[in-house]
Amino acid sequence: MRYKKRLGWFGLVLFLSAGAILEVFTGPARFSFKDLSPIVNFRLPRLGIGVVAGGVLGVVGGSLQGLLRNPLVDPWTLGVASGAALGASIAITAGSGTSLLLPGAAFLGALFAIGLVYLLARGRGGITVTRLVLAGVIVSFLFSSLVMLIMVLSRHTLGEAVYLMMGNLGVVFTKSSAWLFAVCALLAAAGCAWLVFHARELDIVSLNEEVALSLGVDVQRLTRMVFLIGSFVVGAVVAWTGAISFVGLIVPHLVRMLFGPRHALVLPGSFLLGAGVLIWADVIVRNIAPAGLPLSVVTALIGVPFFIYLLRTRV
Amino acid sequence: MKAIEIKDIKFGFGERLLFDRFSLDIEAGEFFGVIGPNGSGKSTLLRLCAGILKPEAGRIHLFGKDLSRISRRQIARTLSIVPQESFFTFEWTVEQVVMMGRNPFLMTFARPTVRDWEKVEEVMGLTGVLELRGKSINSISAGEKQRVIVARALAQEPEIVLLDEATSHLDLFHRLEIVRILVQLKNQGKTVVFVSHDLNEASGYCSRVLLLASGKTLACAQPEMVIKRELLKEAYGVEPVISVHPLTGRPQVLLPPA
Amino acid sequence: MGNRIIMMLLLIGAVLGCGGGPKSGSKGKADKEIRCVSLVPSITEIIYLLGGEGLLKGNTNQCDYPKEAQWVYKVGDFQAPDLERIMALKPTVVFATLPMHKQLIEKLQELGVRVYISAPRDIEGVFAEIESVGVLLAREERAKRVVDSLKSRLALVPLFSDSPWVYIEISVAPLMSVGSGVFINDMICRAGGRNVFADLPLPYPVVNPELVVNKNPDVVLILHPGTEPVEVKARVGWQKISAVKRGRVYAHLNEDLFFRPGPRVIDGIFLLARLLHPDRFQ
Repeated sequence: MRYKKRLGWFGLVLFLSAGAILEVFTGPARFSFKDLSPIVNFRLPRLGIGVVAGGVLGVVGGSLQGLLRNPLVDPWTLGVASGAALGASIAITAGSGTSLLLPGAAFLGALFAIGLVYLLARGRGGITVTRLVLAGVIVSFLFSSLVMLIMVLSRHTLGEAVYLMMGNLGVVFTKSSAWLFAVCALLAAAGCAWLVFHARELDIVSLNEEVALSLGVDVQRLTRMVFLIGSFVVGAVVAWTGAISFVGLIVPHLVRMLFGPRHALVLPGSFLLGAGVLIWADVIVRNIAPAGLPLSVVTALIGVPFFIYLLRTRV
Repeated sequence: MKAIEIKDIKFGFGERLLFDRFSLDIEAGEFFGVIGPNGSGKSTLLRLCAGILKPEAGRIHLFGKDLSRISRRQIARTLSIVPQESFFTFEWTVEQVVMMGRNPFLMTFARPTVRDWEKVEEVMGLTGVLELRGKSINSISAGEKQRVIVARALAQEPEIVLLDEATSHLDLFHRLEIVRILVQLKNQGKTVVFVSHDLNEASGYCSRVLLLASGKTLACAQPEMVIKRELLKEAYGVEPVISVHPLTGRPQVLLPPA
Repeated sequence: MGNRIIMMLLLIGAVLGCGGGPKSGSKGKADKEIRCVSLVPSITEIIYLLGGEGLLKGNTNQCDYPKEAQWVYKVGDFQAPDLERIMALKPTVVFATLPMHKQLIEKLQELGVRVYISAPRDIEGVFAEIESVGVLLAREERAKRVVDSLKSRLALVPLFSDSPWVYIEISVAPLMSVGSGVFINDMICRAGGRNVFADLPLPYPVVNPELVVNKNPDVVLILHPGTEPVEVKARVGWQKISAVKRGRVYAHLNEDLFFRPGPRVIDGIFLLARLLHPDRFQ
C-alpha cells in the first residue's frame, strides 16, 4: 500500500513539473540565452500565478469540503468570488481599471463579502456550517445581482466582468502591482500552511460537530478560522485571476481517491494537483485554444472526462 | 469523589424549558443507568455532561472541576461519549476512525506515537473489530460500526464513558460483549453512564438507575427501587409486569398482554 | 425626470384617447405619419443628422448623441429595450440591430411592426445605411446631401503609403483587444493602419500579454478609461514595444467614435489618421 502513496506523490510532482516546463518553454516569442525576457517577463509570472492560484484553490476546496462536511462544496460557495467581481466591477465603472487598483478593489470586495457572510452566519450557538453555507449562497446571489446592475447602469457592457468570472492567468504587471502580487502570494502560502497544519482537526470536524467537540476539538474556533483564512486566501488570488471553476471542487476528490480522506495528505496533494491542472490548462489556452478561451472552460474540459473515468473504475 | 456533579441546571430548547433546577450526582466507579420515555431528556443530559450543550443556569462539575472552565481537550481526556448514530461523509478506514480517539493526546500537527498505535490496537481488540481495520467505515454493518465507535471512545482513555443507546443496533452476542467491556471498565474504577431504552439492560447491569420524565427525576436509586409498576406507569403511561431475573435477581420488565 | 413624467402622462393620454391597442401598422400602411423608435445609438445620430428628430418618438438610454437625444422618451437599455414601452409609442418603424435584438425583432415582426435591421459592415455600409434611413424618414434628398458631404470629408484623408501596426486595448484585466469582424478594423484600414489582431477569429478576444509584446505594434490605442499612457510604459516587459519606445501610446479617446457605426465614423477616421500619421496629417 505504501508504494501506491509514493507513486501518487511522484505522479503529482511529475505532472506539475512537466506542466511548468511547457509553460515556460512554449509560447509565441522566441527566446535565447541572451534574451530571456519573454520567459522572465511573461511566462515565469504566469507560472507563479498559476501555481499559487491552482494550489490555493485545491487546498481551500479540500478544507471547505471537510469543514462543511459536504463533498459538493468549492471555494466559491461562500461568496468570495462574487465579492471580488463586485469590487472589480465598481473599479472598472469608476474608471480606475489600472493594474494596481483593480486587484486591490477586487480584494476589498472579496473581504467585504467574507465579512458579510460571517456576520450573517452568526447566530445563537455561534457559527454553524449550515448557516455559513446559507449565508454564502445569499451573499453570492446578492453580489452577482449587484454586478449585473452595475453592468446595466454603466456605459460599457463590462465584458471584462464576465471574464472575471471565467479565469485568466495573463495578468499585466507593473512593478508596483508585481510587488502587491508577491505579497498576496506570500499570504496565500501562509494561509495554506495554516490549513495543512490543522489537518487532523479538519479530519475530526468533518465527522460531526458534536463528535468533534467530544474528541477535544474547539469546533467554533476551527470553523471560524478555516472560513476566514480560507476565504481570505482565495480572495487574495481571485482578485488577480478571476474565478476559475472546477479546480477547487474536483481536485480534492481526485486526491482523495488516490490517498484516502486524511487532510494531512489531501491538502498538500490538492495543492500540487490544483497547480498542475491550472498550469496545463494555461499551456493549452496559450498555445492551442483560439484566442480568448476562458481558463475555466479548459479546466473543465480536461478534468471532467478524467473524473468520469475515475468514477467508473474506482467507485 | 463525585465523577459528575450537576447542580440546579436550567436548560431548554427555544421557549420550552426541559431541565429546571435539575440536580444529579454520579459517583466515580458507578455503572449508572438512565431510562425514560422519548423526549424525557436522556440524550440532552448526556450532552450537557459532555459539555456539548451549555446550561443556561447552574453548574456541572467533572471530578470537582467546573465544566465551563476547563478546555475541550481536558474534557476529552476525562470523558468520552458514544452517540446513537454516526454518519461519515468521507471513506475513513476503521483504523483511522479509532485513531481519531487519540486526538486529545496529540498536538496539532504531531504524528501518532507508538503508544497511540498500541492503544488503538488494544481497543480494537477489545471490541472485536481488528479484522475490519482496513475496511471503509461505510462498508461495514451498523453493529460493526457501533463497535468501532465504542473503540474510538475507549481510545480516549476516559475516566467516564457516556453511552447514548449505544447497543441498540447490536445483536445479542455483541450487545453482551459491549456490556462485558463496560463492566470491565467499571471494575477498573471507571464511571459508566448508560442511557438505554431497554429497561432490562439498564436494570440488569447498573448499580443505580435514573428514571427521567420531562426533565424531572422520577426516581434515582438501585434498580429494585426504580423498576416499579407505579413509577413506570407514571413515566411511560403503560402498566408493565415486573418479574425477577432468575439468575441475577434484578427486576425485569415484561410487556403486558395486548 | 420631470420631462419624463410629462411624456409618460401625455403618452398615456394619447393611448387612452385613441383607444388603440398595440397592433398599430398592421392595416394602416396608408398612415401618412411616420413614428419611429430607435434602439440603436448610431441610428439615433443619423436621424438627428437628417433632421428627423420630430419623427423620433423613443430611443434607448445609450442614445446620448447629440445632446437632444437624451431628452427623448427612453424605452430601455440598448441591451434590453422594453417591448411594452416600444409598442405604447405606436411606431411605424423600429430601428434595431443583430444579434443584440434578435428576439425582440421576432416579436415586433409578429406584431406587424416594420423593423429596420442595422448592420453596416464597413464605411460604405454606413453610407448606405444613412440613405436607407433617409428613405424610411421620407428625407431621401437630405440623406443624399449628408452622404455626399461625408464622402468628400472622407476624401480629405489621403491614402498613406505606410501602414503602421496598431494594438487596440479595450480592457486591461483581463487583457482584451479587438479581433476580426469588428467595424473598427475598416476604419483603421482607411486611416492607414493595420490591427495586429485582425486575424483572430473572435471579435473581442482575451489576448496573451506576451503576444502583444511579440507583435511589436507601432501605435497603441487605449480604448478604456482608467489607464494612462505612463502606466502602459510601466508594464513589465512592455518597454520593448516600438509604440512605447516612441511614446505613441494614446488614451482618453472617445470610444463612441470607433464603436458606433454612424456618421461620426468620419471624425473617428480623422482622429485615427492624425494619431497614426502625425507628421503627415493634421
